[in-house]
Amino acid sequence: MGVPFEALLPYGIIITMFGVSGYGLHYVKRFANDGKKARWNRDLWDRQMMERDQRITGSFRGQSSNHQAPTGFEVSNPWKIENRIY
Amino acid sequence: MAQRDARFNQTVLVDTTPMPDHIPKVEEVGATSAPLMSAAYFIGDRCKAFNDDFMKCKDEANGRGEIDCLKEGRKVTRCAASVIKDINTHCLDQFKAHWECLENNNHQLWECRRAEMQLNNCVFDKLGLKKTIPGTPEGQVPVHLRPKQKYAQYPGPQW
Repeated sequence: MGVPFEALLPYGIIITMFGVSGYGLHYVKRFANDGKKARWNRDLWDRQMMERDQRITGSFRGQSSNHQAPTGFEVSNPWKIENRIY
Repeated sequence: MAQRDARFNQTVLVDTTPMPDHIPKVEEVGATSAPLMSAAYFIGDRCKAFNDDFMKCKDEANGRGEIDCLKEGRKVTRCAASVIKDINTHCLDQFKAHWECLENNNHQLWECRRAEMQLNNCVFDKLGLKKTIPGTPEGQVPVHLRPKQKYAQYPGPQW
């Protein structure tokens, strides 16, 4: 009265597919974040600081602890502009 | 135009015109978000007078603070850059360990208390700057000196 092995095949498929999506998302997220853990729950301050990081290092997750900004940093500050409707 | 409707803004304008020559130049701080977060309390310790001065100037300038408080703003920038430079010179390893930990943990200070403790000790020994959290209740251990952190991923003592 053993369980026929055909009954366990779907479980193998389920585990494999969840594993593929889980590990795949993990690696895609790491790749998109320069190999670091992804940021989460970012507020406006965090987002504008990440834009500033990009102006300094060229990448949203790049970090640098220099005390001097690179050349041209002081004129690369973007103004947020919006359309006028009148 | 008393009422101003909220409007989405997707476009940015980068104006590369430098500041006019009659305004003295200042080196901008080149540290990014995680090192600034890590050094924030030391910047606050050394530069409190400059920062308060700047905020007072902005408060009293009636909306013209961006133009009238440039002098105070330059002092704030120079002071912050000097702190970053000193920490880089004297405590580079601890500093790097702490801000890399922060960068990997969503900039949450309670995940990195061990690295922070080492950085605090090094900075206090070499530079004499001490981390104090303003506005904390009297007679309690401040949160950064408690070994156990309530919301950290690792629930035990961090050092």
